[in-house]
Amino acid sequence: MIFRAVEDADLIRKACRGDVEGYNLLISRWEKRVYNYLLRMVANREDALDLTQDVFLKAYQNLRKLDDPARFPAWLFRIAHNEAYSMFRSQKPETAVMPEDRAADVFPIELALAVSSALERLSPEQREAVVLKIYQGFKFDEMAAILGCPVSTVKSRLYTALDLLKAELAPVNRAG
Amino acid sequence: MSCSPHDLRDYILKELDAGARSQVERHLRTCGACRLEAERLRLTEAALHSLRDEEIPTRIAFVSDKIFEPSLLLRWWRAGWAPAGVLIAAAIVFAAVYRPAPVAVQSALNPAQVRAEIAREVAQAVAAVEERQARRTAELLAAAEKRYALERQADRLAAEEAFMVLQKRLNVSYLASNYAGATQ
Repeated sequence: MIFRAVEDADLIRKACRGDVEGYNLLISRWEKRVYNYLLRMVANREDALDLTQDVFLKAYQNLRKLDDPARFPAWLFRIAHNEAYSMFRSQKPETAVMPEDRAADVFPIELALAVSSALERLSPEQREAVVLKIYQGFKFDEMAAILGCPVSTVKSRLYTALDLLKAELAPVNRAG
Repeated sequence: MSCSPHDLRDYILKELDAGARSQVERHLRTCGACRLEAERLRLTEAALHSLRDEEIPTRIAFVSDKIFEPSLLLRWWRAGWAPAGVLIAAAIVFAAVYRPAPVAVQSALNPAQVRAEIAREVAQAVAAVEERQARRTAELLAAAEKRYALERQADRLAAEEAFMVLQKRLNVSYLASNYAGATQ
């Protein structure tokens, strides 16, 4: 993890000097995480891929504004968060796909389907808190930076989400 | 409602420091309800991890684009060459300000001699050009006269040949008329 942070900082410095190949290397280290975060947020592969591309383009355009390279992960996911919510705001209700349909499209396995459905039933804010904590492994303070809210709000969203998921997934766990 | 000294969700999510974790673990050894609650949370977390990360369908890569690339000057500035540039600029300014005044060099020739020399050189050059033009004109005239003579000779030969042809035709006509008179 330390090595990764050091290398990221080096690649960020190269990218700031206009080294596109350095930036492509940085992308290759983060694109899967960003894509999966967005996939769990928007539950559509095409949208997630488009948003991922937008995230890395905006990150490149604003990379020089990043004061501390150690903050890159939270900063990058902050951009991803903004992109996802921009898409939510731009989606018209009649064109939005129902969560159940999207869940079946994305995760075919039975348990994964149940988990996916449970996640889809959460509010976008609760789901994002779960994704950032459980799947991306961010600490509470990093999540607060990404989401632009106090740590107390982050914990509140996450705890509520965990309680809902626990109630929802318990039958699955007992059966499994 | 849990009676644990710290929130069991923080414990499961690994947000507690080592001391707090030890306290929770000691409590769990003695409290069945909290142990059950912690187990449910752990199972929930495990179920969530059944969703595996997907590979990105298309790798993302950018190509060099002049729109987003910093200018050469900006990259030079950011690369740390600015101090060197400032030093060079300072050196140029210093050299401009403290450059020694140019020393006037006295010419060994006086102006009258220089003018006479120039006039002589110009006259020589003009004479050379005129001579070259006269020679060229004479060559062109000679070539024209030669071409005219050749054309006249060719015309004369053509006329002689035409005359011979005419004479032969007359002879043939004459012989044909004599032959016709003899047969009648």
